[in-house]
This record gives sequence, C-alpha cells and structure tokens, in this order.
Amino acid sequence: MRPFDYVEPRSVDEAVALLSRGGERTRLLAGGTDLIPRLRRRQWRIDRLIGLRRIDGLRDLTLEDGVLAIGAGVTLEELAASTTVSDVCPLLAEAARLMASPQVRALATIGGNLCHASPAADLAPPLLCLNATLRAIGPSGGRDIPIGEFFTGPGRSALRDGELLVQVRVPAVEGRGVYLKFSPRRAMDLAVVGVACFRSHGVATVAVGAAAPTPLRVPASPDEAAARCSPIDDLRASAEYRREMVRVLTRRALEIVP
Amino acid sequence: MTLIGQRIPKLDAADKATGRSRYIQDLRLPGLLEARVLRSTVPHGRIVSVDVSRAREAPGVFAVLASQDIPPKRYGYAKDTTALKGDRVRRIGDEIAAVAAVDADAAAEALDLIRFEIEPLPAVFDPERTLDPGAPLVHEDRGSNLVRTHDYAHGRVEEGFARAAHVVEGTFRLPAQAHGCLGPAGAVAEWDARGRLTLHDPTQIPFLIQRDLADTLGIPPSDLRIIQPTIAGGFGARLDLYPHEIISALLARAAGRPVRLAMDREEDFATDPVRPRTVVRMRTAAAADGALLAREADVIVDCGAYVSWGAVTPIVMMHTMGSFYRVPHVKYRARTVYTNTAPTGAFRGFGNPEITFAIESQMDELAARIGIDPVEMRLRNANQPGEVTPQGSRITSCGMKECLEAVRERMPPPGTRPPGGRPLLRAAGENLVASATQTETESPSSPAICPAGRIEGTEPARSPLRRGIGVAAVFHVGGGARIYRSDGCGAMVKIDDFGKATVVVGATDIGQGMETVAAQMAAEELGVPLEAVRIAPADTDVRPWDVGVHASRTTFIAGNAVRAAAKDAKRQIEAARTALGLPPDTPYDKVVRSEHFRDQGSLVIGRAYFDPPNAMVDAENKGNVSAAYVFGAHAAEVEVDVETGQVRVLRVVAAHDVGRAINPMYVEGQIEGGVMQGIGYALLEEVILREGGMSNPNFLDYRMPGPQDMPSIETVIVETNDPSGPFGAKGIGEPPLVPVAAAIANAVANATGVRLRELPMTPERVWRALRAWADVEAPGEICGKE
Ligand SMILES: Cc1cc2nc3c(=O)[nH]c(=O)nc-3n(C[C@H](O)[C@H](O)[C@H](O)COP(=O)(O)OP(=O)(O)OC[C@H]3O[C@@H](n4cnc5c(N)ncnc54)[C@H](O)[C@@H]3O)c2cc1C
Repeated sequence: MRPFDYVEPRSVDEAVALLSRGGERTRLLAGGTDLIPRLRRRQWRIDRLIGLRRIDGLRDLTLEDGVLAIGAGVTLEELAASTTVSDVCPLLAEAARLMASPQVRALATIGGNLCHASPAADLAPPLLCLNATLRAIGPSGGRDIPIGEFFTGPGRSALRDGELLVQVRVPAVEGRGVYLKFSPRRAMDLAVVGVACFRSHGVATVAVGAAAPTPLRVPASPDEAAARCSPIDDLRASAEYRREMVRVLTRRALEIVP
Repeated sequence: MTLIGQRIPKLDAADKATGRSRYIQDLRLPGLLEARVLRSTVPHGRIVSVDVSRAREAPGVFAVLASQDIPPKRYGYAKDTTALKGDRVRRIGDEIAAVAAVDADAAAEALDLIRFEIEPLPAVFDPERTLDPGAPLVHEDRGSNLVRTHDYAHGRVEEGFARAAHVVEGTFRLPAQAHGCLGPAGAVAEWDARGRLTLHDPTQIPFLIQRDLADTLGIPPSDLRIIQPTIAGGFGARLDLYPHEIISALLARAAGRPVRLAMDREEDFATDPVRPRTVVRMRTAAAADGALLAREADVIVDCGAYVSWGAVTPIVMMHTMGSFYRVPHVKYRARTVYTNTAPTGAFRGFGNPEITFAIESQMDELAARIGIDPVEMRLRNANQPGEVTPQGSRITSCGMKECLEAVRERMPPPGTRPPGGRPLLRAAGENLVASATQTETESPSSPAICPAGRIEGTEPARSPLRRGIGVAAVFHVGGGARIYRSDGCGAMVKIDDFGKATVVVGATDIGQGMETVAAQMAAEELGVPLEAVRIAPADTDVRPWDVGVHASRTTFIAGNAVRAAAKDAKRQIEAARTALGLPPDTPYDKVVRSEHFRDQGSLVIGRAYFDPPNAMVDAENKGNVSAAYVFGAHAAEVEVDVETGQVRVLRVVAAHDVGRAINPMYVEGQIEGGVMQGIGYALLEEVILREGGMSNPNFLDYRMPGPQDMPSIETVIVETNDPSGPFGAKGIGEPPLVPVAAAIANAVANATGVRLRELPMTPERVWRALRAWADVEAPGEICGKE
C-alpha cells in the first residue's frame, strides 16, 4: 500500500466537508473489508482516507415511529445479534448471519455493503424487499433515496460527490420473509445467486442479487423472475446457470413463505 | 512399551497456539531488506528490453536485478529455466526483474519504474491440445511440447480385454489444485563476509536444495547453510528449488544486506506449484465373477512452462496402475507436456489421487454392470499380504481387506443394513425439510430462513434431495520411495551430562509431528520420559543427511534411523557402565559424567543411517520402490440437490492400515486433513486459468472447504505391524487424500444415477450433468464432458 493521510472526523458535517474538499483521491473508510483489499491490490490510488468510526450516531440502531433506523456504521455482527433487528425484521438479521465470517462481520458495516454496490451484496435483496430508504447527507444537505433507485451499476450508486450514507431506514411491516443465499461453500463465500422474498398481507415481493448488474426487484413468479434478471458469466457461474438458479430459488422462497 | 501408541500432544503445540512459533515472515535481522518481483503479464513473449535504471535511483532501493545481472545458469529438473527470464517469458507470472528495498512498499514502488517491452507470441494452454501439429512451442529449441513419455506394461492387455465379460471406458479430467498453505512462500538470504550464504527457508528438501541452489549461484554447496523456520504448510509445495529462493540470494549478494523475498497471498497462489491438470483415458475389464482382467490408461499431465515435480507424477500413477488390486494385464502410457501456465509440482498423493479417481470410478461401474456390491467387488480383487505384484511391489503387511470391511460395517450399503439400524440411504422424497418443518413451529410473524442448498419443497414428494453412498480404496507407498538414488536419513542421539537426550535427525517436521514422533521413539528406546528428549534445530550445519519430507516416508525412514541411533546410544551407555565398573542401574547422567570426568573419557553419541531395502525402477519401470505399502478405504455419504447440483458430504468413514500408530492422534489428524483436502479436490477447488494465469488467486474465489462444509469423519486405524517399520509403523501422510474424490463421485452416482468424470463437482457441473442425463431420458451413466 502507498502512504496516505488518515483522518477521523467527529461529525457528519465535518466528514462531508472533508469529503467534498478532497476530490477523487479521498475515500471513506468504514469497516474496510472491501476498501483495504482494493488498496492493497493497488486498484485505487488515494491520498486520504476518512475514517467514519468516531462519528456520533453512525452506529445507532433504533426503532422509532414504526421505522427501524440503522446507522450506516452498524456492523454485520450488530445486525445479526440485535434483538431489535431480529424482532422487527428478522430477514435482515438472518441475511447478515449468512455473510462472510465472524471476523469479517465484526468489522464490515451495512453502509459499506450498500455503498460498495456489489451486485452480490447480501443485504441488498432483503432491503429491496423491505422497501428501505437510504438517508444521505452531502454539501447541499440531506435527502432520502428509495433503495430501488440507489444501485446504478456494478460498484456504482446514486450517491453524489461529497455525499455520505448515514442511515438505512426500514419500515416495520408485518410479514414473513426468507433470504436464500446460494453459494458452493456454507460460509465465507459470495452468493452465486441470492433471492429474498417477503410476504406481507398476502403480497409477495422478491429481489435478487448477483443476477443482474445491480441487486434487483423481480416479479414474484419463478419464470418471470428468471426472465427479468440479466446475469453474466464469470468465474463463479455461467449466466445460464444463474438464471436457472433464480428460477429454482424464487420458487423455493415463495413456497417457504406461503 | 510405554510411549508408543500414546496420544501425546505435539512438542510445539503450545508455541503454535500462543503465537510463539516463528515463521519466515516473522524473522527479524539487522538491516533486513524486503524484495518484490516484477512479473510477466503476458503468457508468452519475447523480451525486447528491460530497463531498470530508474528503479535503481528510487528512494530506499538497495539492489535491482534483471536477467543480464545474474549468472545465466539454468536450473530445474530439465534445466529449462533461469531465475530471472532473459529472452522469453513463458507464462503469466514469469520473473523479469527484482528489487530489494528498505520495505515492501518501497520495493513495489520501484517496480513501477522498471520499463520493459515484451513482444507477445502465440501461446498454448490446454494440455490436450499442446501436442497438436502447429501448436505454439513453449520451448522452441526443444522442437516439441512433449516433455517425456512413460510406458509400462505387464501381461498382454489385449488378451485380457478379449476375454472380458465387462469392459468400461471413460475419460477423466482432473483440475489443477493449489496448496493454499497457511503461510505463503518466502525465503531470507544473508551472506557473511567470507562469502558463505545462510538461507532461512521453509523448504521440504534442505539437503537437496543445498546442491541445487549452490550450483545456480556458482558457490560450493558446503558454502550454503539452510535453516528451516517453522513451516506453515507444505503438502509438496516446497519440494523443489524455486525462483524466489535464488532471487533472494542474488539480491542479498548484490545489496550486501540480508534480503527477504516473501510472497503475498495472490503471488503465492499464482506461482504455486499446483497439482497438475491431468487427463486420464482409461478402460478396465472384468470377468463375469468380478475378477479384474485388464486395465489400460493413456494419461496426459500438464507440466506448465517449466519442468518440476508435476512431471514426475506419472511414475506414482504407474505404480498404482501396476499394483493396485490384482490385475493380470496392464498397459499404461503417460505423456507430460508443456503449456504456457505456471509450473506444476508435487501435491500430497503425487499423481495417486488422479489415477485412483479413474480406477475407483471404474470399479463401481464394473460392480454395477456385474451386479455385485462395490465393496464385494473390491474384496474379490484385493491385494494380499505377502503378494509380489507383477510390477514388482513386494507387499509385506497388507490391511486392505480389513479396511474395506471396516467401512462396510460402519456404513453398510442399503438393503444389507441390520434391522433397526439408522436408515442411511433415504429414497428420494423421504427428506422432510428441516427448515420448512421448523417454520411451522415459529410464530407467524417470524420468517423462515434457510441457506440455500438445504431445503426444500413443502411436500415430501417434491424433495429435490437425493442421498447416496460411495466407497473407494487406496494403495500407496508407505516405506519410503526410491525416487532418488538415496532414500536415506541419518540420526544421532547425544546423551548429555544431565542424562537428557538430544535427537539430531535429518528429517523435516512439516507440521505432521515428525519431531514429537522421533522424540517418542527415542525416549521409548532409551527408556526415559519424553521430557528427557529434545530435538536439535533444523539446520544443515547440524543435522545429518535426509532426502526430504515427501512420499509419506518420514515416520518409516527417520523413525528407523532414530530408533537405531537411540539403540546405539544405549549400547554405548551399557559399554561405559561395564568399562567403568558401574552397577547396571547407574543412571545415564552419572554414566556420562563419569566418562567426561575421567582420563581418556568418551562421548555418548549414538548414530545410525537408515536407507530402506527398496529399489529404483528398472528400464521396464518395474521394481520394488518402497519397503512397505499402505492401504485404506473410505466410504462417503452424500446428499445431492438435483435442482441446484449442490453436493453435500454428510459423513465419511475412513479406514487406514498404518502398520502401527505411533501416535494415534496424529494419524487421525492426517486422515481428517486428507479428507478435507480431498473434499476440496472433489467438490470445490480448481485453479481457474485466464490466458494461462490464475484468475482466482485468493481464498474467496479459490474455495477450500471451511469448517461448515466438513462432514462428520469417523477414522478407523487398522494395525498390521509391518516387519520392517519402526515399532511396526508405515506411512500415512498422503493416503487419506487419495480415495476421497472417487468415494464422493461414487456416492453421487449412487444418489443420482449420474457419473461425473470431471472434478471439481461444482454445483453447476453437477447440474449440467444431471440435465444432460435428463435430456437423453435414458437411465444409464453419463459424464460431464464426453
Ligand atoms: C473475506 C470476505 C468475505 C466477504 N463476504 C461477503 C458476503 O458474504 N456477502 C457480502 O455481501 N459481502 C461480503 N464481503 C464484502 C464486504 O465485507 C461487505 O460488503 C461489507 O459489508 C463492506 O463493509 P465495510 O464497512 O467493510 O466497507 P468498506 O470497505 O469500509 O467500504 C466499502 C465502500 O463503501 C464506501 N463507504 C463505506 N461507508 C460509507 C458511507 N457511510 N457512505 C458512503 N460511502 C461509504 C467506502 O468508501 C468504500 O468505497 C466479504 C469481504 C471479505 C473480505
């Protein structure tokens, strides 16, 4: 790794100021589990890292007015262990438990998972099903981005220059859900395909990961879901196989939450 | 006997568990520099120019070397490469230049300043195409990509096939498997003022490397001292001389400072001497009663761009071809070939997992044709104690039958199970899904969650899960293996003034527990507690000759040497007691001190050299390469999700004839580790190549099984007390990996009716095979690629 500056702002405003002043070679550091490997591989050149861990409130996790408000700095481990999350949206807690390993989960954050914008991000399909809203703050103030509009391509999100994700807001809706993560290994693996399904008041919502350039909501029907996604061939699987797994897993998910 | 057969923890267990063991990465020396290597990004090309002048000026840089700066000394099995490449690069990752600097970052920055131009040339990657007319030549001067042909035959194979009631035939494709050692490769080189080199190197062959490395450096081998730090995994990956060892020495000489060249994880993967990609075309014939008649194989083994141990795997395959089961007619040809990929090497089992996959798959195919139980089929053809195989292997002790019976007893095939026993093989549709059932009991608002691959279907009739059982056996060397003219190992046992013994033995502890086993044997022979024995450090200036840690030879060979050296020490003690007129029960310390404090006293140092009674193969490739052979059998139970193709191994029973378990805990460790690596080979692990370079060089994409992927493993130790083994022991290092893939493939065939002949059996590959089978709509067996 090349040498760089490291700063730890105490507030969101300070972070936004540092970020918008910094330009391209300034990056935010949350858990670092996506970022640090990239720096080590020298995929990115940076001059400055802004560490988020000392910012007040970024790790808060509260239930207020029927909305589960999850700070962007909440770790996967906290998501998995929190009784609030398990009570209000167990789907999300379960998805977190299926990710990475205990060591990685202790560092990795929900904000990092979403902002990294991997098509295979495991938290994305459940949050798409649950209609989450992402709260961002930038130089010109705050705004709420519906999660359906957040992912714009592999590694790309709707965040603008200088903007920071601060909170993930999940409406507490009654219903049942399931996340089927399909991977050759049972732990420490990325999804070949991930399918989340949430059924509330008889209506099922389905979202898929690793089956299109972005995590995606798809129709709640196995065949239509398979038709709607646009997977690629890569070293984990072929497009053909991924599409077929979307069909199989969507059917299973719909059966599990009847 | 008190210490033999005891479950004694490894001497260094506490050091390892508390972070005290020192690995090559931990070594600190005053003035130590760190090195990085500039590597080719094209698979084949002519080096037009390399300009290192700017790198030499970079901050913190002490030495930069390109091929023109080093002795143009070719090295390796076929003398087909140099440490830094001069005129040609022949694979992605080939070493072009190297930098030593104050730290790894400074070295990496300096690499960016090296200007070089490479004119790309056509390349060849597929070992099955590389002998085609017109294929690009990896080494133009050799005129062909063929490295060598190995031929072997006994009996008259055509006659065997002509008389056969059943013949099965197929092509088996085996992937490159990477070692993925916990510690990446690395070496630290330091020269003293008199021109003597000390190399700290976790190598498996300290005494062979002494000569090979000295030769490339142009120094006398006696001017090279190898010190082995704690080895963080080997499995065959450290069995040759590699460029990083030469480069670290050259950089240290140029810089006038000690230099470490330690690979990062991706580099370690990308330059790993992998288990070679291997293609086995095989047919096997049997009589109507199941007796094997003939076996024929045509094999291609990928050497990569330069010849290393991968090219030698056909010799091990040849022994299994000629001696595994009683087969009257055998014919075998193997060709080793060059491709523009990383040089392939040795990996636990050394060709045997590859050929055993084919042999044991066909045993099941034949059993199915004949209509007999797979274990019965194997018992009918099993090797016997005292047998001399047509290939020349003199089998002494042999527990093959006992191993097969042990796994059958513990995992009986469906139908033969005693009434009331646990149903092991459930018919499709019997699987009520655990997670789906749990859902019923949960509160309505709580979601049902289950990782994919474990489920599903709410109606039992629709369950996509199929269970099956598969068996496979193994034949392997277990009493050394004469690949070099020497298969020997020396040992000394020194008794000191305090009655303690120091064992100085040439063998290498690679994590298997050699040092503890040597201490156990010495203590047993001397009649002292284990605590009274210590092991001298791994340093070629101190330790006597040994060929290296390979071929499951160490307990057998080093054990015999240590045992004899301890006996010799004891004899000297007894002689001293007599000479000094001391009573026969005088303790060791008193005897030794009496020697040291008298006129013309003497030392008590027992010594022995053990070179087993085995032979190199003759011109016909026949001969008894090992002084003993080992046998084993595994049974695997799997569950296949026929909609996703995912295979889960639920249970493995592994029985091994080890002669005698000196330390049952280590035998179990070897078996469990072998099963784990075998499951990786069978289901998950594959070096995926893009333009001949590894495109999955990390633990996320190169998937080794994790704890949650492991089945329950039941180990069965079969003791046959080999007459030439130390306390009856034979080798166990490699055998547990060998039959795993075949047992799993047989279980998958048992579960689904579909035979996979290509590894790894990834979900997608199984899914494709199942689909191809469904398409032809005919019962029978098909395979991935044919
Ligand atoms: C071994 C291993 C296993 C893994 N397994 C999985 C898995 O199973 N499933 C999965 O989905 N992922 C997995 N990952 C990827 C990774 O761990 C997760 O995506 C994780 O959630 C990233 O969070 P982080 O806090 O570490 O992000 P970081 O690496 O700190 O950041 C990632 C990116 O997001 C940006 N960022 C972070 N926080 C903010 C913010 N608040 N506002 C704006 N931008 C921000 C950073 O600048 C960076 O570009 C794995 C990674 C590893 C190393």
